[in-house]
Amino acid sequence: MGAFNSLTYNATICLGCGECMMACAKAKSGDADRFDQSRIKIVPAGDNKFEAALCRQCGDAKCVMNCPAGALTKNAASGVVDWNADLCVSCLLCTVGCAYGSITFESSVGHVAKCDTCGGDPACVKVCKSGALGYVTTASIYNDYGKQEDLFAPGLAACQGCNSELMIRHVLRRVGRNVVVAAPPGCIPGMGTVGYNGKAGAKVPIFHPLLTNTASMLAGLKRTYERQGRDVTALALAGDGGASDVGFQSLSGAAERGEHILFLCFDNEGYMNTGMQASSATSFGSWTSTTPVGDKLQGKRTDAKNLPMVMMMHNAAYVATASSVFMEDFYRKLDKALAASKQGFAYLHLYAPCPSGWRFPASLTIDVCRLMVESNFVTLWEYTPETGLVFTRPTDKPKPLESYLKAIGKYRHLAQEQVDRIKKLLEDRLAMLKRFVR
Amino acid sequence: MQSCTYLIVGASHAGLAAADAIRMIDPASPLILASRDSHLPYSPTILPYVVSGRSKAERTALRSEAFFKEKSITFLRQAQLQSINAEKGLAHFDQGTSIRFDKLLLATGAAPSLPAIPGLGDVAFHVLRTMDDALGLKTAMKGARRALVLGAGLIGTHAAENMAEAGMTVSIVEPQMQLLPGYFDSQASSLIEKAFEGHGIDLKFGRSVASLKPGVAVLDDGQDVPFDLLLIATGVRPALSYLDGSGIRIDRGILVDERQRTNLPAVWAAGDCAQVRLFQSEGTGVAGILPMAVEQGRIAGQGMVDDEGQKPFPGAVSLNTYSFFGQQAISVGAGISGADSPGTETVLRFDEGAKTYLRLVLKEDRLVGAASVNHPLDPGILWQLILRQTDLSDVKERFLADPKTTGRLLMSRLWR
Amino acid sequence: MTALSKPGKVVVLDGNEAAAKGVALARPDVVAVYPITPQSSLVEHLSSLIASGELDAELMNVEGEHSVLSALQGAALAGARTYTATSGPGLAFMFEPYIRQPGLRLPMVASLVTRDTLTPQCVWGGHQDAMLVRECGWIHMYCETVQEILDSVIMGYKVAEHPEIMLPVNVNHDGNYLSFGVTRCEIPEQALVDDFLGPKNINWHAALDPERPMSVDPLTGNAGGAGPSMFVRYRKGQTEAMAHALDIIAEVHADWAARTGRHHAPLVEEYRLEGAEVALITLGSMTGAAKDCCDALRAGGRKVGVIKVKTYRPFPVAAMARALSQVKAVGVMDRSVSYGWNSGPMHQDTLSTLGKTGLRMPCLSFIGGLAGADITEAHFERAYDAVFKAASGDMPPGPLWVNEKD
Repeated sequence: MGAFNSLTYNATICLGCGECMMACAKAKSGDADRFDQSRIKIVPAGDNKFEAALCRQCGDAKCVMNCPAGALTKNAASGVVDWNADLCVSCLLCTVGCAYGSITFESSVGHVAKCDTCGGDPACVKVCKSGALGYVTTASIYNDYGKQEDLFAPGLAACQGCNSELMIRHVLRRVGRNVVVAAPPGCIPGMGTVGYNGKAGAKVPIFHPLLTNTASMLAGLKRTYERQGRDVTALALAGDGGASDVGFQSLSGAAERGEHILFLCFDNEGYMNTGMQASSATSFGSWTSTTPVGDKLQGKRTDAKNLPMVMMMHNAAYVATASSVFMEDFYRKLDKALAASKQGFAYLHLYAPCPSGWRFPASLTIDVCRLMVESNFVTLWEYTPETGLVFTRPTDKPKPLESYLKAIGKYRHLAQEQVDRIKKLLEDRLAMLKRFVR
Repeated sequence: MQSCTYLIVGASHAGLAAADAIRMIDPASPLILASRDSHLPYSPTILPYVVSGRSKAERTALRSEAFFKEKSITFLRQAQLQSINAEKGLAHFDQGTSIRFDKLLLATGAAPSLPAIPGLGDVAFHVLRTMDDALGLKTAMKGARRALVLGAGLIGTHAAENMAEAGMTVSIVEPQMQLLPGYFDSQASSLIEKAFEGHGIDLKFGRSVASLKPGVAVLDDGQDVPFDLLLIATGVRPALSYLDGSGIRIDRGILVDERQRTNLPAVWAAGDCAQVRLFQSEGTGVAGILPMAVEQGRIAGQGMVDDEGQKPFPGAVSLNTYSFFGQQAISVGAGISGADSPGTETVLRFDEGAKTYLRLVLKEDRLVGAASVNHPLDPGILWQLILRQTDLSDVKERFLADPKTTGRLLMSRLWR
Repeated sequence: MTALSKPGKVVVLDGNEAAAKGVALARPDVVAVYPITPQSSLVEHLSSLIASGELDAELMNVEGEHSVLSALQGAALAGARTYTATSGPGLAFMFEPYIRQPGLRLPMVASLVTRDTLTPQCVWGGHQDAMLVRECGWIHMYCETVQEILDSVIMGYKVAEHPEIMLPVNVNHDGNYLSFGVTRCEIPEQALVDDFLGPKNINWHAALDPERPMSVDPLTGNAGGAGPSMFVRYRKGQTEAMAHALDIIAEVHADWAARTGRHHAPLVEEYRLEGAEVALITLGSMTGAAKDCCDALRAGGRKVGVIKVKTYRPFPVAAMARALSQVKAVGVMDRSVSYGWNSGPMHQDTLSTLGKTGLRMPCLSFIGGLAGADITEAHFERAYDAVFKAASGDMPPGPLWVNEKD
């Protein structure tokens, strides 16, 4: 069974404007004022808050099971619970099955009615000003790439809650077999991707460059294949230490030369594989094993080097930041980066919160990923020399920075002055990035 | 002899829900679905619509042959269960067929229960429980002018409406003083009765048939009621003679626990043949309604396949929807058909002119039951409020004023 | 054999250009360059050859020596024949990938245009840079003349890519004296070189190629998986290949001589050892002055000879022992120091050879030519005098610093 696209509703930001209901009524009856014709129902919940009744398009839909007429069916292609007017006898038993109030009889309509997602292009979502309604189309990722072979061995030994393993598996499914992977020392080989004592961790050519020379080693390899007339993707799966610290020279050189490389940097803000030491990408104030907290020192004393910004300054063919919580955005950027890497240097910076090293529960990685983006601790954007910088997630309504810092143990000791400094830094950094927007 | 891992006898809602639940976990082990019928699976609930012509018999199938093929389910037709030897895992069907099974689900449904009326054996009459019944009734209607319906339950009233709409003169004889007794109170029923009377249906309440002769029924008050077509709709009950000697315990139906297990380890029962716990009262009963059959069938199927997601059956709740002459009635839960019971709080809104009715019954700020005529409700949400015994004290005023919107608000919060 | 050889074109050029011409004749696929004194004109020449189309190779102008060798390792894993050249601090910066190359068993030729190392700050010749990496697993060949540079670069590929060897080769020539010294040089025909080298043989054993997917250089060793034995097997194989390289180097030199008529001693050259009582051991360009001195002293009746080491790593113990067995005392002229032994590195190699073969004789350490200093015939004459004195029992306590008073 495949995955399906679905409508989502975020009650915390719904303004209750009713535009969605008008759009639905208009789409279904031609009359925007016929709220009773809307298949999405926004209901007031007091205190200017709102709730919604809308069809979940259940996988195991009780409305379908309760239908004696075969008028309701789960569409295996779209995932929508389809309603067939010809077969419906208006017995209303479907409404008994639905605990969401989402298939409902309206006398003015004359039959039961439910959301059909407007055939995959829901009218309500398009008019939602607050962003409370969304249409999640990530199902295509599961459906399209789920079928692709997972090119890493099963049972890699990443820490619990690590999103890097998830991401590298996604990446190789997308990139495919015609690739050479360089995984410099760090978490990614540490989890077994390159193999150990004669055993391989991947089904594609993969190697351990030095921590220092990932980009240059791939550059020589790629130039050789191009000389041979072969189109082989040169892919780096590096950490922030190997990219922004000791490997920076070779990375910078390769970017300057426009080597045809796809360089992915998994930023977990330090040398987590070797015991959580600080790197230049470690954020200000962070506890690490080399920026400890005591009477004299309270975590890292300098700000993180913003490597994606530095890479943008190389005028690379493609530079972007991405997060595993916005997979569509990530896939879109991966596609662009892959295409750009055929003509120039492509750099993709992935945020990889580390439960072990940052001290938060392994079950919260995705939440932390989301919070770090939504609080503007990091921003998602892409850059090409042609377009300049384009933000791919809004930055105008950030969640409070504290909500992010409080979620993570490595910031537990922060004094207010330190928090203020981080705030200032983030504001300055955002302002700086905005200057690259055309 | 055919053998299988899972044998399901009965191919309506409970049996199909069980098959789905099994195939969700175990896509391959042999599964036989046996039906006494010659048709593809259908719902008894659709039969009045087949009679009326709104549904075409050939388009009522709940599953297709292609579905069974895709799911590796063997669908056996015209297989009437005769006896069971659970110890040996054998089910014997008519015409000498036997099937060896590892696990058995009995979802054999119910059959019309016929009243003991003198002369019944001498007259032609119809019941409405199978597709063949429906097709027979539909054919009979073509040459008939006067119809007599015994029983004002859901089947009787649906059929009466269809026959009246087909131009027949229809009478309903019901011993109680209203339509749909047990589902609605007399006030709600009065709105429904008005519609029936408005369509020329003669409602004879408080009476029963004393005897039958060809073409004529004699009522207990001595009145003769002539008819060309007689429909008996005085209720259904499980037909369980195949269980004789099986060791499976029965009462009014097959006795099952909250996981639909009978007293024998490899045998489950679900749907209209099962006697289950009741949610809103002590004791057990045969629920006999479609949503309960679906629930029970799924739970049974999950148990047969050891699905860890199985949750026990919380108990049957009365859930009914009823459409009549383009109008709608809903009844959910208890306390809505008769007088108020002690400790309950009832809100009643009745507008005869607007033909609307709403009754909400709460106990200790928790929903007990709701009924409405021409007043939109979300019965699925009300069912959840009853099952979850949701404390409504914070939203009581709103709920009583607008149960639909408030219910949606509560559910939206709950499911987030 | 000379009858079979074909004379090439005779030109006049310096050592760096000769190296570049030799590289071009070996037709590498990828050349990565980063300039450093006294190597710079070498990579300039190579870049010009590629720019003019004379050499069809991928030119990578990378940002440092570390990336130079890194890029070439990647290229070799994709099947490329590769080349680079470096000196002194550049070699030091290249060290991390440098020590990895032999373990990967990736053949290549890299010229070390030898230079003394910091500190004191200096940009002139000396063997200290090359000596610091003598134990890294590369084959080291030192050239005496411009012609030998050109010939040895080509021969280096033949040795490196030999299927029984599969190791990188440093062809070393002295900064300043050879890099900028202009002499006659014969350029062989391309066809001759093509025929001599044959097909490339780079990555049959370890490749990064989607058509032959494999994990290259996974973690190996410790107790997991195959256990410590796998690491030992790799190390032992590499060491054995290194030892076997002495045979292959000799074969390759013989083959080259047959094709070109130019004979270079592959391992150790014995110069006028017949009847010699003492000999000096030399390395690189200093050998010319040593030979001149030897000739002059021989003309004066003194029984002296020269032992020139061509292949320094692997150390040619047998060839060296054969040479040493002909004299009564020996002196070793190093252009670098071994801090730990308070002598020259090659002095230690000579002592080891004596020890290993059971020969006993006085063996003096001379340290000269540091930071571009000249080792003249006069210096060599004084060295011979010291060896004669040692032969008669007057052994100095430590090394003799040749240019101490210059």
